[in-house]
Amino acid sequence: MNNMKNNKNMKNALKWAVVLAVVLCLPNIIRNDYWMVVFVRVLINIVLVLGLNLITGLIGQMNLGSAGIYALGAYSSALFVKNTGLSPWLGLLVAVVTGIVIGLVLGYPSLRLKGVYFSLTTIGFTQVVQIFLNNMTKVTGGSQGLKSIAPFSIFGFQFDSYIKSYYLYVAFVLIAIFCAVRIVNSKWGRLYRSLRDNSDAVEMSGINIADVKVKAFIAAAIFGTVAGAMYAHFYGYISPSTYTVDISMNFVLMLLVGGLGSVSGAMFGAVIVTILPELLRGLGNYYLITFYIIIFLGILFFPNGWVEAASRPIKKIIAKRKKEESASGEK
Amino acid sequence: MSTMVFQLLITGIAYGMIYSLVGIEYTLIWNSSGLLNFSHDKLITLGAYIFGGSMIIKMNLDNPIAIVLTLAIMGVVGALLAAGIFNRLYSMRSNIFAIIGTVVLAKIISEFIRLFWGSGNMRVSGWLDKTYFIGGFAITSANIVIIIVAILLVAVLEVFFKFTKTGKAMRCVEQNKKAAALMGININRSICITTALSAMICAVIGFLVIPLVNISATMATTIGLKGFCSGVIGGFGYIPGAIAGGIFIGVVENLATIFIPAVYKDAVSFLLLIVFLLIKPTGFLGKRAQGR
Repeated sequence: MNNMKNNKNMKNALKWAVVLAVVLCLPNIIRNDYWMVVFVRVLINIVLVLGLNLITGLIGQMNLGSAGIYALGAYSSALFVKNTGLSPWLGLLVAVVTGIVIGLVLGYPSLRLKGVYFSLTTIGFTQVVQIFLNNMTKVTGGSQGLKSIAPFSIFGFQFDSYIKSYYLYVAFVLIAIFCAVRIVNSKWGRLYRSLRDNSDAVEMSGINIADVKVKAFIAAAIFGTVAGAMYAHFYGYISPSTYTVDISMNFVLMLLVGGLGSVSGAMFGAVIVTILPELLRGLGNYYLITFYIIIFLGILFFPNGWVEAASRPIKKIIAKRKKEESASGEK
Repeated sequence: MSTMVFQLLITGIAYGMIYSLVGIEYTLIWNSSGLLNFSHDKLITLGAYIFGGSMIIKMNLDNPIAIVLTLAIMGVVGALLAAGIFNRLYSMRSNIFAIIGTVVLAKIISEFIRLFWGSGNMRVSGWLDKTYFIGGFAITSANIVIIIVAILLVAVLEVFFKFTKTGKAMRCVEQNKKAAALMGININRSICITTALSAMICAVIGFLVIPLVNISATMATTIGLKGFCSGVIGGFGYIPGAIAGGIFIGVVENLATIFIPAVYKDAVSFLLLIVFLLIKPTGFLGKRAQGR
């Protein structure tokens, strides 16, 4: 038994090692600036979706306000760095604080209630954020956006090229994955899942549901604002038109494509939903409608995510073989 | 001053009526199938494009014929959506799939609109664009028509739900699906009819907002979201609540422009939404704040 567990751990570690090796070699295989930007976007999206997974994937509360969180993260970090001239790392810290504030202010009113209220409030929040970013011209630059935001740097080493930023963001994503895995597999992660499955039973056990949800939302918001800061310091330019309700929906799509509730699923979804449209660009005018139809059919027929759908037949075969083996062993 | 307040009040009521209609349209689907239809704003846009883009601008039809044809097409679209997609979505195990299903549907519809009618804006000239002066007040014909049509539509719906067999069956499905099925009501058919009705109301909203905004792919986004706000503020899943909430939002956001810059007008209704969730989450007419 112990042996089998070790074996499984080994296999898992091997899988992750292969993925990491591919990720690290990618810039050397594909020497193309366009694709490097796409890959960095994938990395940023992974960070955000890992956060979204906590609240939407595990607890099952539909957060449609990712765009607002993302925007506030980007703007808070960028404005801080631009106005004080301090390091972007401090900007990142400001973004984290912003995340905590959003989690408290938005989570408290909406998560006390069940059902769709949370989705509607978060949409409203995104709209309000966008309206204010667009119209507070003196502070945010209005619809013109903010230009020339400093990139990250360590001791004078500037992460100013695509490849340098790529490697930095791979490190960010690794930290994010570490945090997400720790949360999902902890007491909190189990609590979140039980909330999704039967919140009444959790409440009966003497747990303050609203409090747990608000904490999960704070964590999700921190992931979101950090992703926003990553976006701002990579592109060096942000404008309110990026942060529409549409991209919030896209983030939830990533989660669904990968399968709700798992860290690797969230990552897989972020990769697919970011890269697939780029691959379909050859279809010209029809690429977006093709992409959405593919996603739509996926939701209708594989509601547990594509990974699960693809691995189901394989699992069936393995289970069948095991059954046969045990049957022949009994004889 | 009082003239301005009066005019803002009229505009507010007219906009409020539109939010109310949006509220009614998605509440119908929510009550019958438990689906929150996030593609409703694209259905409104689709209605406006079929009416303005095809019937009036391209084919030069008379207004009444165009209206009837558009309503018929949208009714069919609604029934097909329900039969093919919504009936599948509402029986899924988590409402996240259902919501996201309608979200992706919205994207598909808007891409279809872009491919079929192009991405430019359209303007329908001669459709409800007169302005009347009554004793010093300027009132646009659009506002008058919106108010009249909305009141008529609510009255017709009331009669339909109270006095026809189909309407009664739809109310039964809303209250208790199992019992309704046991009484011999075909639930899937009932949901089809409800969705068709909802799509037709979307088309009516589309006709009514053409004079207020240009026909474009994003013309109904804000209106659709504010429709959701009106539902929460009035009482979610309760049609009189949606009507009251819609008118409340419309009037408050228009009167608010007296005190705040007009660019922040759109933020008012969303802030109201958050305030209501804090103070009175059931809305001011809602008795039941239940989640699904």
